[in-house]
Amino acid sequence: MDALHFGDAFDRELSLRELLGAFASERLGRHLAALLGDFRLYDEKKQTVLESGSVAADAPTIDVMLDIEPVGCLQASANIEMLKAAADLVAILLQSQMRYHMASRLHEEQVSHDYQRLQQEHAALLKSELKYRTLAAELEARVQEQVEALKTAERQLYQAEKLASVGQLAAGVAHEINNPIGFIRSNLTSASAYVKDISGLRAAIASGDAKKIVAAWNKADMEFLLEDFQSLLQESIVGADRVARIVSDLKGFSSIDQGKEERIDLNESIRTVCNVAGNRIQQKAQLVLDLGELPALQCQPGHINDVLLAMLFNATQAVGEQGEIRISTAVENGDICVRISDNGCGIAQENLSRIFDPFFTTREVGAGTGLGLTVCRDIVRAHGGRIDVESRVGAGTTFTIHLPLKGR
Amino acid sequence: MADYDEDANRLTIKLVYYGPAMSGKTTNLMQLHEQLRPDMKGELMTLETQGDRTLFFDLLPLGFRAPSGLLVKFKLFTVPGQVAHDGTRKAVLSRADGVVFVADSQRNQVLNNAESFENLAENAARVGLDFDAMPLVVQFNKRDLPDILSEEEIAERWQGAEWPLVFASALSGEGVSETFSQLLEPVYRHMDETYLLNIDHGLDAASFIKGMGV
Repeated sequence: MDALHFGDAFDRELSLRELLGAFASERLGRHLAALLGDFRLYDEKKQTVLESGSVAADAPTIDVMLDIEPVGCLQASANIEMLKAAADLVAILLQSQMRYHMASRLHEEQVSHDYQRLQQEHAALLKSELKYRTLAAELEARVQEQVEALKTAERQLYQAEKLASVGQLAAGVAHEINNPIGFIRSNLTSASAYVKDISGLRAAIASGDAKKIVAAWNKADMEFLLEDFQSLLQESIVGADRVARIVSDLKGFSSIDQGKEERIDLNESIRTVCNVAGNRIQQKAQLVLDLGELPALQCQPGHINDVLLAMLFNATQAVGEQGEIRISTAVENGDICVRISDNGCGIAQENLSRIFDPFFTTREVGAGTGLGLTVCRDIVRAHGGRIDVESRVGAGTTFTIHLPLKGR
Repeated sequence: MADYDEDANRLTIKLVYYGPAMSGKTTNLMQLHEQLRPDMKGELMTLETQGDRTLFFDLLPLGFRAPSGLLVKFKLFTVPGQVAHDGTRKAVLSRADGVVFVADSQRNQVLNNAESFENLAENAARVGLDFDAMPLVVQFNKRDLPDILSEEEIAERWQGAEWPLVFASALSGEGVSETFSQLLEPVYRHMDETYLLNIDHGLDAASFIKGMGV
């Protein structure tokens, strides 16, 4: 509450002395004395405010009015008309003083009101300044926090994409392994029957009769059996080798040694990837390798294999019946360049600038995460390289992976 | 919060005419100066105007003596209506014993009336007046102008408000003293409660209003 104290209020009742203020001086006294001779001006409480000489106690007295009531009296042994006129002059002076007093107090009031408002605004500004300072300080921490959150999310997405490609890989690998396992098992069944046939000769051999032995030998068709047995085992060894090779190739994709950097022959990686994905590709397209001689590359082989596999799968999806996928390698301007070309559907011009954007996909919902190329680009960038793309709709697409031999 | 000065045997009652700019507050005071016939009537003091607009305030002092000899002195003030003079408005409203809110009946003034009324309530709270208990009369002025809200519309809008509504044309003097006497009734009740006007000073409500020469 900011109610005025009554003592301060602009409209409080003022005493004669207060009203006269500076005028209650010799000067006014001189003028009144000139008009009235000896006089006395006193307030409601009979206290003299201004006087000149001494006034007889029975001299005429007249009220000095302010508003509607007297604030004091003027007494002098003068003509009553003169006394009235003098009292009126003093009243006019008082009225004017009262106006001045009220206006100036009110003006003060307005100024202090404005000042208080400015103070409040100032305080509000200080508060908001402090708020923004605090915010600015917090901002850095928040940015760090966000960056951390984004990094975590990115890692999670990368894992998701990896799981998706592992799934694709697993399907291909299952088929690859199933085939040799199938004929190995069939061979082993035949071998088991052959062993039984061979056991059948035991009685004839035990008799020591050469004729009987020859007859049993011929009956069992041992010449063919031994020859076939040999080729069964040979074929099974080849099959087992194939399984062993697939498993060995798969190690390139296992996460165990993914963080490690190694010097590798990139051509070897490409061959491995083609072996792993070969079955899946050859159902649709002809795979042509045109691998030039390459120096060893310092890289993270697991990641590079991921890139090659993803791009190979992309190319496979792009080509139609009797498509062709060509992978060539060469050294150009200190970079190893891997070109993966297909003669498939191509990429529309308006999509070309967006294919590396996260979650951009033209495939049906569920068929692609939209992260494959994003992850590829990030991996290649981490190796200091880049991926270029050229494409014409209907004619095919060429992706070129540049990997610098020196420095990242 | 009237000022009772025992030495001077004087009770000073402060009444304030509040309202938006140019609603006719000063005209109300000029008309009261013309129309009222109290025992004592001072001059209408007008402090600094700019064109027709009050910058500080207007003051009309009036008074009469109760049978006991007590001087009952009224100070009627107007506030400056313009938004900028809020500090002055607050100071003038401070310690008021009653308020006349002078609203402009013209249709295009509805918003100004509302803002000013809200400002009255705010300032009353700021200077420590109990707005709900304070004697208040709402005057809808300028009934002589075209394009004004009808009495029915105004009555409907102010339905539920407990303050008396008076319609006036201050320029021609219509409704001005009616507004004033409507305010004097609750003012008397408040004064009588605090200062025992009837018991100690032989002043009842009728003579209180009559004393002002309404």
